[in-house]
Amino acid sequence: MSNKSEVIATENLIKTKKRSQGADVWRRLKKSPTAMIGLGIIILFLFMAVFAPMIADYDDEAIKMNIKERLQPPSSTHVFGTDEFGRDIFARIVWGTRISLFVGLISVSIALSIGGFLGAIAGYYGGRLDNAIMRVLDVLLAIPTILLAITIVAALGASVLNLMIAVGVSNIPGFARVVRAAVLSVKDEEFIEAARAIGANDFIIITRHVLPNSMAPIIVFATLKVASSIMGISSLSFIGLGVQPPTPEWGGMLASGRAYIRDYMYIVMFPGLAIVFAVLSLNLIGDGLRDALDPKLK
Amino acid sequence: MSDKLLKIEDLVVHYITDDGVVEAVNGVNIGVDRGKTLGLVGETGAGKTTTALSIMRLIPHPPGKIVSGSIELEGTDLLSLKESRLEKIRGDVVSMIFQDPMTALNPVITVGDQIAEAIMIHQKVGQSKAAQKAREMLEIVGIPGNRAGEYPHQFSGGMKQRVVIAIALSCNPKLLIADEPTTALDVTIQAQVLELMKNLKDKFQMGMVLITHDLGVVAEVCDDVAIMYAGRIVEQGTLEEVFNTVKHPYTEGLFNSIPNIDDRRDKLKPIRGLMSDPYNLPKGCSFYDRCDYAMPVCETQKPPKIHFGETHFVECHLYQEQQDFKLNGGKE
Repeated sequence: MSNKSEVIATENLIKTKKRSQGADVWRRLKKSPTAMIGLGIIILFLFMAVFAPMIADYDDEAIKMNIKERLQPPSSTHVFGTDEFGRDIFARIVWGTRISLFVGLISVSIALSIGGFLGAIAGYYGGRLDNAIMRVLDVLLAIPTILLAITIVAALGASVLNLMIAVGVSNIPGFARVVRAAVLSVKDEEFIEAARAIGANDFIIITRHVLPNSMAPIIVFATLKVASSIMGISSLSFIGLGVQPPTPEWGGMLASGRAYIRDYMYIVMFPGLAIVFAVLSLNLIGDGLRDALDPKLK
Repeated sequence: MSDKLLKIEDLVVHYITDDGVVEAVNGVNIGVDRGKTLGLVGETGAGKTTTALSIMRLIPHPPGKIVSGSIELEGTDLLSLKESRLEKIRGDVVSMIFQDPMTALNPVITVGDQIAEAIMIHQKVGQSKAAQKAREMLEIVGIPGNRAGEYPHQFSGGMKQRVVIAIALSCNPKLLIADEPTTALDVTIQAQVLELMKNLKDKFQMGMVLITHDLGVVAEVCDDVAIMYAGRIVEQGTLEEVFNTVKHPYTEGLFNSIPNIDDRRDKLKPIRGLMSDPYNLPKGCSFYDRCDYAMPVCETQKPPKIHFGETHFVECHLYQEQQDFKLNGGKE
């Protein structure tokens, strides 16, 4: 009886301690004003993405043409003005947030899981397997990321799903390298040998001992890569290979608005600013995390 | 001799590197009885750790390679076992305590979980049962069980070594290999940890291989002693035999390197020179160029094994002709 309550008490203790480690990182992250600014901006974007239907009606404001109100400057009814088809630019940016963040996160998840898996086994087992995996990835790495993405989209056809695959696949080599390097730095630690000495198999060693100890650089890299993926998505949409019109997407908005840039610069300015702020905020968070997760600065 | 828990015969381990072959272990024969402790003594690079890792089959490969010999644990030949069988033996039948407790624990997992991990690998028990056993183990090594949820950095060095011991003992192993378990600890903690290990060894009836370069530790804990030099056992016997009737010049050198507390004017007599290059071991006795008693024959011929009684033997040319040769205690 008392034993059982003791078990529960200890389990609670374990939980609070685990939280406190995250709290440690959070405490250090809070000290960096730039990271907090980045976090504020990205929370604003997330908020916009989640509550998009409540902010602006998709069909009515973001998609439907309204020739009577085309090319209006920012006003109280259209905060960011309207585009060449009379669509509300603010509504389109809000809905575009959904696409950018969603595709950015999914493509990074694809790259992280595949690249992470390849990098982990390459780094852990080393030798020929390492060589085989990394040389193939080096070939991929030799092709510029955006060019590789263009090639994949061109081959598969332009759609949101193919866009995610394209950006995800082109990021695989980068993730594999970062994970491999992190694994290499951890795998010769004595506690790995100690884990082997208690009879842990490779799976337990990799998942419980190696990867949790190499998380810091991976988290930082993933954060930065979400930013560059958003850039990639916008770039592909800009050249017409990404999200197809009339779906609102920041890069696509830039592309269609650039014909009017001389007289109606706000058409491109606002989606451009959206991209800048999204990428900037993620980069600021990434830099802040890098400092917060660095054990040497403890 | 059925009481032998561990029997190593003619073990040869080489590290094959780009610069040549490192002959780390060259024909080691040792045995450990059930419930007994063998002290493996020697200076840095003598091959002690390599011998220990061979027992666990944890020699990094490549470059390490067990060239020949046999290691038998309760009659099972460890060298012929598959990796999956070895994983079942490691931590369950044979456990190892590592030299540096600061690095032997995973920094991101709580100590309770690390002990429980060993239990869950080898025993079919659930998480809560394992966690409970982990706390019991912590209590056994003298750490309050409610600290199971803390991380290694919240413990001091001595306590970390206790945790490492708790992990090693969590599955009641029959053989415990302790690789310089007290080297990284300060003297006061050393005594505590040694005392703890001794008590636990008696409690769990384990055999133990204690690797150390500290003869004081050996005197404290061991039943048998094997002196290792350049990959060979140069002298072996019971604690009394080796400590009271030192036979090998190298053993004598080790004893002379300990400060004498009774005579403070006494100067230390370190063994001159360095251990011979393991890339290129001499043809004869490896200790030849550092030995005060060296004879011409030592340079060219491997010393024979000479027995004094049933358990005590030495590998040295000095006793070939005259069994009753006396070392002069390093006095000029």
